[in-house]
Amino acid sequence: MTDIAVPVDPREFDSPEFQRDPFPVYRRLRDNDPIYHDRFHNRWVLTRYEDVDAAFQDNESFDRAVYDPDGPYEFGSSHVFGPNILEYGNSDRHRWLRNIVANQFVGKGLTEFIPIIEQIAAELIDKVSDDKRIELVEAVSTQFPIRVISNMLGLPREDEDTFVGWYQALIAGLGFGGEHLARGIAARNEMWSYLDPLIDDRRRVHHDDLLGRIVEAELDGVRMSDDEVKGFIALLLAAGGDTTDKAIANMWFHMLYTRPDQFEDVKRDPALWDNVFAEMMRYDAVVHIQTRYTTREVPMRGKVIPERAQVRLYLGAGNRDERVFADPDTFDIHRTDMHMGRENRSGRYRSQLPGHLGFGIGQHFCMGYAMARQEAVIASAKLLEMMGDPRPTVADHEGIISPSIDSGGFRTPRELWIEWD
Amino acid sequence: MRVQIDLDACILAGECIYNHPALFGWDEHDQPVALVPELTADQVGAVEQAISVCPSGAIALVD
Repeated sequence: MTDIAVPVDPREFDSPEFQRDPFPVYRRLRDNDPIYHDRFHNRWVLTRYEDVDAAFQDNESFDRAVYDPDGPYEFGSSHVFGPNILEYGNSDRHRWLRNIVANQFVGKGLTEFIPIIEQIAAELIDKVSDDKRIELVEAVSTQFPIRVISNMLGLPREDEDTFVGWYQALIAGLGFGGEHLARGIAARNEMWSYLDPLIDDRRRVHHDDLLGRIVEAELDGVRMSDDEVKGFIALLLAAGGDTTDKAIANMWFHMLYTRPDQFEDVKRDPALWDNVFAEMMRYDAVVHIQTRYTTREVPMRGKVIPERAQVRLYLGAGNRDERVFADPDTFDIHRTDMHMGRENRSGRYRSQLPGHLGFGIGQHFCMGYAMARQEAVIASAKLLEMMGDPRPTVADHEGIISPSIDSGGFRTPRELWIEWD
Repeated sequence: MRVQIDLDACILAGECIYNHPALFGWDEHDQPVALVPELTADQVGAVEQAISVCPSGAIALVD
């Protein structure tokens, strides 16, 4: 049944061309081999929207972790984050860990925090308003979400600059590996020493902040160890910062270079930043893959994925599925065949329209989805308001890249120079 | 106490179901449904948590 018209060579996943433009490979996989067994990397690759969605929804067959979640586990020996919530698979412990912090990132908790997000955005933009020319990634986007999350945690504001440094080393270690990994682990250790007294303090005295809440949380009367608290914080700093800062840069890249015509619409109606966010998450999301492990044999489209197999859910490919979205390779903020508003963890909407897959779906749907959107939209709107009529400084741009899609390297422009009058 | 879900307000976010699968589920029409008719004290705490992560404010505790 599978017509492999143009077979995919698994080494293509490791090629520089794939990191720059993976979309032709995605299309060949969707068309010719949607349940692809990559024997070279020993994993399975899902690329159609329907299949990626189904795997996200099916926690009984697809687990985030490969080991027994109730079994023994050596914590974070080589992981930049140290022990963290993402390693707990589909277990109750994962849900418990998420519930400790989840209501800070959605609903009322987030609404109450929005004035602080606005204040931090205003401070950063104020700093650059006289420059008339900035490199967005360094001047704004890598600065903003990390300051928001450290504020939310309750870390002292005077230490924010130090945190930005540690944070940058952490995410470089995560994205690039090698010597960056060593620097990332060194930054993690410095951060951990710094956090010790702050954690101690919260073990003794109640603090009404996120760090206090993490320290005080109990499961069956047991609190997290210091290492678990730190792993949690490192994850929040990196996951709550890195993805969002790259989302902001990607939105601006698409407005400046991909659709300058639609940027004019946004300048007239800043509420459209919400649409820019949604379409960016579909067209070329910051993260393109999520990994799952099968808990049993899974039959799909006439093939059988064996038990304990690694499965790559290519949400970046599902988002370009022509079976779901018209003209999937066109960036269009006025799209009528996709839910453009706020995302749902369920991936289901009252409108019956499909949503983008950029945050995943279901059990491991991005915890910070609502906050990420708020941050990206608030910062972008304020920045545009300050600039008025911004334009790219250079006509040619190398485009959105990633160090390595398969090792979780996030897709983003290296630099983004903008000027205004 | 028991759970009340306002289906007109609900946007199908699914937060309650994924965070508290023992208490909330999907019915045959893919609408959220409370799975436990009468809540224990522990379950009330869990429902309060579900209320706090519900983005549409569709969940309530009633006597």
